[in-house]
Amino acid sequence: MSGSFASLNSALGALRYNRVVMDVASGNIANAATPGYNRRRVEGESVGAAAQVAMWSRYEGSGEGVRVADLHRLADQFLDGRVRQERATLSYLDVRRTTLERLETGIAEPGPDGVGAAIADFRASLHALANEPGSDLARTHVLTRAQTLVDAVRTQAANVARETSDASSRLEGTLTKVNAAAGELAELNRQIAQHGAAGTDVNALLDRRDQVALSLSSLTGAVATERPDGGLDVTVGGVPLVSGREAGTLVRSSGTDVVPVTFAIRGGAADVPVPAGIRGELGAGADLLSVTLPAYAAGLDAVAASLADQLNAGQQAGFDRDGNPGAPLLTYDPADAAGSLRLAITNPARLAASSLPGGVLDGQNATAMAAPTTVETAYQRLVAGLGTEVATAGRLVTNQASLVAQVDGQREQLTGVSLDEEMVSLMSAQRGYEAASRVMNAVDSMLDTLINRTGLVGR
Amino acid sequence: MTITRVTQNMMTSRSLEHLNAGLSRLSKLQEQVASGRAISRPSDAPAETTTAMRLRATLTEVAQHRRNAEDGQGWLAEADTMLQSMITRTRQAREIGIQAANPGAVSPGGREVLAGEIEQIRDSLIALANTKHQDRPVMGGISGGSEAYSAGGTYVGVAGQVTRTVADGVRIRVDLDAEATLGPDGANLFDHLTEMAAAVRSGDTAALRAGMDTVAGDLDRLGVAVIDVGSRTVALDRAVETADARELSMVKSLAGIEQVDLPKAILELQTQELAYQAALASTSRVMAPSLMDFLR
Repeated sequence: MSGSFASLNSALGALRYNRVVMDVASGNIANAATPGYNRRRVEGESVGAAAQVAMWSRYEGSGEGVRVADLHRLADQFLDGRVRQERATLSYLDVRRTTLERLETGIAEPGPDGVGAAIADFRASLHALANEPGSDLARTHVLTRAQTLVDAVRTQAANVARETSDASSRLEGTLTKVNAAAGELAELNRQIAQHGAAGTDVNALLDRRDQVALSLSSLTGAVATERPDGGLDVTVGGVPLVSGREAGTLVRSSGTDVVPVTFAIRGGAADVPVPAGIRGELGAGADLLSVTLPAYAAGLDAVAASLADQLNAGQQAGFDRDGNPGAPLLTYDPADAAGSLRLAITNPARLAASSLPGGVLDGQNATAMAAPTTVETAYQRLVAGLGTEVATAGRLVTNQASLVAQVDGQREQLTGVSLDEEMVSLMSAQRGYEAASRVMNAVDSMLDTLINRTGLVGR
Repeated sequence: MTITRVTQNMMTSRSLEHLNAGLSRLSKLQEQVASGRAISRPSDAPAETTTAMRLRATLTEVAQHRRNAEDGQGWLAEADTMLQSMITRTRQAREIGIQAANPGAVSPGGREVLAGEIEQIRDSLIALANTKHQDRPVMGGISGGSEAYSAGGTYVGVAGQVTRTVADGVRIRVDLDAEATLGPDGANLFDHLTEMAAAVRSGDTAALRAGMDTVAGDLDRLGVAVIDVGSRTVALDRAVETADARELSMVKSLAGIEQVDLPKAILELQTQELAYQAALASTSRVMAPSLMDFLR
């Protein structure tokens, strides 16, 4: 038989249990909108018979009530891993798209202000010069248009250079963030291991740990694996960045302005190079700096160089106003053709409009120079190529964003706080608390009967 | 995928996502309607961008070809007027020659006067031959000087063609070839008139008749030049018309590619606006209720 006070004890256990349920529910409600918060659930268990203490001892009770077995944090490490992976791809694509879109807006095509229009206007002014080879006005006009064209090409080159230096300095900023996050994760790993060993509740630390790992993945496309002690190990491109309490430092192993951009992890005896092809913001920055921006710059350089070469050859085939052989119209440095394009002549009389020597008023050479060449088509191809790239980047971002929304939704389904649900559990705990109090009341009145009324019959 | 749990956060982020998507579609359309351009950036339509850029370049070129042809029309009109006056004056000289060739009808004093008249006509013809268009003598070839003929009637221009490009690779000559129009130096119209005047003065009827025949040949040459100028003017007119037509059709196709189809865009804008308002309204209805509204 159980003791007289057993029911009081179970009611007390129920009171305590329901109090904990209400605490957890209110904690969940409080954190409903906290980023990275995983909802908690109280796992109750009924307290059964005590272990058999002696050979002939026998438990005769019918359960000792309830107690809190576990404070469960609802999380799925595989789902978290998937979220991190998709987020890494999304931030890679997003950074890429943003930069390309800015570059694209800067080139002002198709429109009346771009390089294409400047070339066409320049050719038209050459035609006007061919019509009036003796006119100073027409000659000055050609020089003005040539200057406009040179400026348009150089503006574009400057745009590309600005995007490059922008991407480079952003890369440095990203590296600082990565290393700070790696340091924080290592510290969290230490705390989690300590608290876990001491048996304290580490759920808040685990929430924080997942947040840091997610931001590391967004930044570098890092992959995290869970350790037995509850911490997370992180590798970037297969090279360990954080392992347990040790965090390495991610550095740009190529020089500041060197392409292709490579990274290495510093920490042990020697730097370990990170293989190319990482994702995240860092990967996007590296790809932009190593491939995309240099490719556009090279295309623009080729256009500028062939434009200058063709016009100079045209000038040299003719004779200027005074009958002397034409001097080159444009100069450039082959290492940076578009950025260093300059007008080489300032005197309008030096334009070689004539195809005959002797200062005659002939315009055949100007007509020849006015004919469109491969420069136009090369430039059109360059612009169309960039347009296609930007359009593709935009589409990829949209697709990836919906994929991220889906995995985020799946994760939220498991870990998100539903206020309705919490209200229900709050109410049921409240009712349970009331019922347990009622049990106490019943036991109390039973004992009252037993203690105060027994032996008073017939008094 | 069946949704087993739906949380408030999920609903918030989903509705925000949908509102954002609707708003971005709306802003894209608004940009199109406000700017009137269907292609603002190459990525809006990469293939059409190339076409638009090519059209723009060709359009500038065709406009320039039209300007070239119009400029050439000015030259040829000037040349035509000049040739007509020259023919009139030359005929006058010949008539004087006919008058002088009538034996016995003209006294020596009269012959002197007639010879003087012919010489005057010759001088005025030289002045006509120096007719200028845009400060360049139309018969001066590619000369940088201001005259085609010296006061003595010898060619001082530089032989060469003044041409106008009126289409890709199509050039039309707009000046007059001095030698073809007036004859080679030493045997040109002016020399012939000088000889005729001398014959009138000396009363050498045979020389006068021979001189009048050569001047008739000069007149034929001038007539051929007029016809030549006329046919070149027709070619230029046709070039201007072609350029006009090409310009128009290209402006149209450029508009078709670059400009937005306004009625369609406005209709789409309104549809998107409606969709956005619906999304807003449904969001406000879905976000408001919670169990707390019903628990007392």
